[in-house]
Amino acid sequence: MEIDKENVVQAVVIMDTFNDHFNPISKCKPMSLLPVAGVPLINYILESLAHGGVGEVILFCCQDGPTIKDYIRKSIENKAIWSVTMDVQVMMSDSCQTMGDVMREIDAAGLVRGYFILAGVNTITNINFGALLEQHKQLCKKDKGAAMTLVYKKVAWEHPLIGSDKPIFLAADANTNKVLMHHKYKPKSTEKSISLPLEVVLNHSEVKLHHNLADANIALCSPSVPPLFSDNFDFQTRDDFVHGILINEEILASSLYYTLLKGNQYAAAVTNWKTYQTVCRDVLHNWAYPLSFETGSTEQNNYLFMGNHIFREKSSTLSRSCSLIEDVLIGSQTHINDNTVVSKSVIGKNCVIGNNVTITGSHIMNNVVIKDNCKVLNSFIDEQCTIGENSVIENGTIIASNVVVDAGSQLKGTLLESSEVDKEKSLMKSTSECTEWENESSGSGGDDFIGFEKSWSSSESCYSSDGSDESSLPDSPVPEDTNIFLQEVIDSLARGYEEKLKNDYLILEINSSRYAYNIQLHEVNFFVVRALLSMPVLAENKNVLNTVKDILKYFRPVLSNYIKTKSSIMDCLRAVEDSCIKCEWLDGKSGQVLHLLYEADVVDEDSLIEWHKDLEENESPIANQTSLVKFFDWLEEASEESDDSD
Amino acid sequence: MSPSKGSGKDLDDKFIDLIGKFVSDIKNGKLRGSNNIALSMVTLLETIISDSQNATAYELCTAVRAAGRRVAAALPHELVASNVTRRILRAVRDENRAHANQVNQTVEGSGESLQRLVLAAGARRATLGAAQHDLREPLRDHIAELRGELESSVSSVCGQAKEHVHGDEVILTYGASALAEKFLRAAPRTYKLILAEGPETAESHAMAHRLSTAGISVTVVSSASIYAVMSRVNKVVISVSAALGGGAVLAAAGLSAVTQAARHYSVPVLALAPLYKLCPVHATDASYFNALAPPHSALPYERHECASDNVHVYAPMYDFAPPDHITLFITNLGGSSPSYMYRLLSELYDPNDYNL
Repeated sequence: MEIDKENVVQAVVIMDTFNDHFNPISKCKPMSLLPVAGVPLINYILESLAHGGVGEVILFCCQDGPTIKDYIRKSIENKAIWSVTMDVQVMMSDSCQTMGDVMREIDAAGLVRGYFILAGVNTITNINFGALLEQHKQLCKKDKGAAMTLVYKKVAWEHPLIGSDKPIFLAADANTNKVLMHHKYKPKSTEKSISLPLEVVLNHSEVKLHHNLADANIALCSPSVPPLFSDNFDFQTRDDFVHGILINEEILASSLYYTLLKGNQYAAAVTNWKTYQTVCRDVLHNWAYPLSFETGSTEQNNYLFMGNHIFREKSSTLSRSCSLIEDVLIGSQTHINDNTVVSKSVIGKNCVIGNNVTITGSHIMNNVVIKDNCKVLNSFIDEQCTIGENSVIENGTIIASNVVVDAGSQLKGTLLESSEVDKEKSLMKSTSECTEWENESSGSGGDDFIGFEKSWSSSESCYSSDGSDESSLPDSPVPEDTNIFLQEVIDSLARGYEEKLKNDYLILEINSSRYAYNIQLHEVNFFVVRALLSMPVLAENKNVLNTVKDILKYFRPVLSNYIKTKSSIMDCLRAVEDSCIKCEWLDGKSGQVLHLLYEADVVDEDSLIEWHKDLEENESPIANQTSLVKFFDWLEEASEESDDSD
Repeated sequence: MSPSKGSGKDLDDKFIDLIGKFVSDIKNGKLRGSNNIALSMVTLLETIISDSQNATAYELCTAVRAAGRRVAAALPHELVASNVTRRILRAVRDENRAHANQVNQTVEGSGESLQRLVLAAGARRATLGAAQHDLREPLRDHIAELRGELESSVSSVCGQAKEHVHGDEVILTYGASALAEKFLRAAPRTYKLILAEGPETAESHAMAHRLSTAGISVTVVSSASIYAVMSRVNKVVISVSAALGGGAVLAAAGLSAVTQAARHYSVPVLALAPLYKLCPVHATDASYFNALAPPHSALPYERHECASDNVHVYAPMYDFAPPDHITLFITNLGGSSPSYMYRLLSELYDPNDYNL
């Protein structure tokens, strides 16, 4: 194996999803050990990589590294099938908060030698990675700039994999499969139209538009990808990367391609509870063959197939009067008692299900006890839980491990976890929080809908959460990108002013925030000046004008970087106008501020006069301020004087 | 036939690694085709035998059996691997007995006669404990013989093509199979072939194309029209996944329709089954008859039907054809009728090894 190290296919698996879609389950165990159809996610990805001809895998953990390392070590000791052909390396870094950080870390450590596969731990697939990577290499011979090939699976438009995740719209050159446009809808968005830039159609003889692609979180990367992440530290996620590459294609000299999987290949990513459910079903229905609910164990065929996609482990025991309807998986040593009805559910190992229980659309992990006459609908119950008699658990209730639910409880769309502080298996009810979240997210347009299948639960009250990166706390209004941008610029300027940072760094910081929030250049000019005039020092200070003078002097390089052309000067003046209206500390001082700017050579006379005209035409509230009138009188005099002297 | 639990202890770590390599080669698709799998299994077991520290009959049997169990557990659908294991176990037992016979050589009756076999039935079932000597050397010959048989099995099956396929006959075959293709190529090229598409349509088409470039007149029909064309067919030639103990066969899904139609029109069905495909599995073992293949060939995942939660798509991995649907098995030893299969089984394997 050592000899042809150059030819070994490398894969990088990112073991975190950097979101909280699986809270509270993901809090107490790493995402990679979340069982899908009874098998931890990590087994699926490792086995599929081994099947796909990958020789070396780097597992990149940002959290729970030791747990995963331990798990890998145990698997190797147990001679898991993948351990024979694959070299698995666990990398740990607690400092990484996003996928971008991970890629930068990989670049810094020089972990990848060449072309590599980038996958998430939540990927379940049976594709031949080696062949796809070879295809990508061929493509790179034709186009030196090819950075990444995205792997998508075509599915029906109604498919839950699309509907419950963020759907993608993709425009690509039909001849080369080069991605021209990549747009992610917001879930449940009401966008009715999408705008396709004209040059996309004009510059290519044939353009393919896809709207029915499921993203499997797999990408085939060129060696240039990690450095690209390092160079652009505003790339936080793969979507940022895709977006950044498409916008700055010429600057970064990189391009993106995509590939669709063939008919008999399956790929999906577990991104939220709804896709979790769908993927479980697909695994039971054998779509991911050779991956199955027996993946990861060396012994196969331990399950009995009972028709209707019902499988039970040989050592499980069923009561004669219980009935299994369809899509059921029952783990070893589990016992199901009389008159119990199970449908579309996965039940783990060593569970005891009582009499007259109804379980539908639910996922029950190992060692769970469900007592008599319970109803469990569309819910998730983690390990070691006990559900008391006559309880009703429904509508996307998620119960973390070691919870004891009292007899007769009624739970709807609740998150339950045992509080570990007092080490007693007590209940922490978070019902109210949950509904709050729900109201909040529906109020702000619903960023992420991640409950269980709606059609299964009659009501819509599923657990939903707001998991995107820029979201703030539920009680604050969701700010727009420009507002965040302004706030960030103010923050960095204030910090720069306090700590006397170099102006060059500040410019770099502002530029990176600009790319992060996708702000146009003229807006940047506007916001920088606006930020300068709204710095917190000004609000606190009595002698505003002196401070403004100080600030302008200090930030002269920043200003001259942005305010160069005529149009940028106009942006600057508009910002002054805006600040004078909005900031109370500048009330009535617009003339003086302008004077300072004029003295500092930031603005010139012609623009000032033009702007003044605009002010009067638009009847701006500051047009008649005495200080402003005075300033322009002075300006006219001064210009006359200078004219005279000519 | 499910292997019993707990077998890992009997094997060295290096053997387990070898087995893991073998299993992952098959899973990765590096090793394809039942004949290749059988040959690699022989190589694997040969390594285990020659590297065993203690080469008494008992030790060897334990090691070989443990390896066979491990492979069977990891790859329940590669029946060939288990069959090869049984053959080697049989060789070990034979060698041990031959040696035992040598030791207490009696004057009368050298060599094995039918009468001796019957009388010695008890001894055959006896435990392997007594003899303590190295069996490696004699086993090497046995293994070489077995390997030779495996290597020549395809050609010896195909060598019989002239006896069964004659000019101007209409032959029907089902799906793509390397063995059936070789068999049909070996026959005189004047017959007409009807190829019914199997579950892997593209492979069936590729096979039809190759045969027609070889100068055989090929007509491809969809599997739905098998019944319609069957009345004109003179013989059906199929390759099987496994020949079962009772004379039934396991073959690619959809085969049952072919043999039913053939039965209705009294068309002879020839099943190509090299000896290594003979399994001591009987028609009561549900795990093979219920096995599911990925359903992509039945209904593509893109179809909107798959988006619904209430749709179940089934694609069985095998089809079962009962003994009375098969006219003749063609093994490397010649043709044999389904009712004779049990006899072949007891010749090939030791009854103790039916369950690995």
